Amino acid sequence: MARYIHYTDPNSEDMMRDLEEIPRCPGICFFMDINRSTDIKYQGGLKDWGRKLNNTFNNLLYANHFQKHVVKGIGDEVMLFIPDEVLQKKTSNNTCFALLEDIYAALFLIKNHPDQDLYLNCKVAIHYCTEVHNITFFEGADDYYGSDIDLTARLMTKCVENRIVLSEKFYIKVVNDLINMGLPMETGCLARVSERFMENFRGVPVSTAYRVIDVQ
Amino acid sequence: MEINEIKTDQCVIIGITGRLDTTNYSVLEKKIMELIDNNSTKILVECSKMDYISSSGLRILLMGLKKITLMKGKFALCGLQENISEIFEISGFTSIFDIHASTEDALKVF
Repeated sequence: MARYIHYTDPNSEDMMRDLEEIPRCPGICFFMDINRSTDIKYQGGLKDWGRKLNNTFNNLLYANHFQKHVVKGIGDEVMLFIPDEVLQKKTSNNTCFALLEDIYAALFLIKNHPDQDLYLNCKVAIHYCTEVHNITFFEGADDYYGSDIDLTARLMTKCVENRIVLSEKFYIKVVNDLINMGLPMETGCLARVSERFMENFRGVPVSTAYRVIDVQ
Repeated sequence: MEINEIKTDQCVIIGITGRLDTTNYSVLEKKIMELIDNNSTKILVECSKMDYISSSGLRILLMGLKKITLMKGKFALCGLQENISEIFEISGFTSIFDIHASTEDALKVF
């Protein structure tokens, strides 16, 4: 559970000490968004978008696997954060590679489902975070803050329908998983990974390397 | 996960035991592709001992169905456990796959 930060004195020295001592909480952050869901709200009303959102979120099995780690939603965009220690304890989806494979598969199933009226296509951005803290400024809430969370949100700007954007940091974790498992670099959806791109994201002082995988 | 293969007069039965997930879906993919390459276009996947399936596993079954359908063959499933049936239902797979309660029932349609 997140460390609750709440001091009534704006200049509290205790607050400064408290903030200094908060440990980092490394893990995987991903944002996922559902395409066209805003349009559908205007066109089809609650019944239509509610049905499609229900079906789509149900079909994202990887997200349901980590449903306690859905941190926040804004509109139809959802942020999940999976701390390393949680990932390692899972029997499935317990490596960055496994998680990426299941995200790809979930997007593939939606894109290739014969009945295109049931689901909405998705897009996902993933980053491996080290600059992140499990803190909240609202009592009882669980939340994560840090420059790496902001960067994950920035990666979403490079995302389009049926695309996974992965930061180079996450990609390196996936590659290390493959090495540990003795699998070739082209295993699964990595056969479709792009070359490395660089981008200067707003508010981020250094260039960010990322790759994309377009779902076939 | 373990896979076994039984050839019958009607079709090839692939039995899956254990968890079908990201760590092993490629084994099933390879097996299905081998059968297709050898012109086996009637495949029954027996799932009564399969206790977990991830999206990666579902993807391979969908790919198998699509390839076999294009070859005008038959691809069916049988013996799904309750938790697996639920995943098939929420994935919208119950309407696109030919699913049977038991191997005996399934063999009648081949």
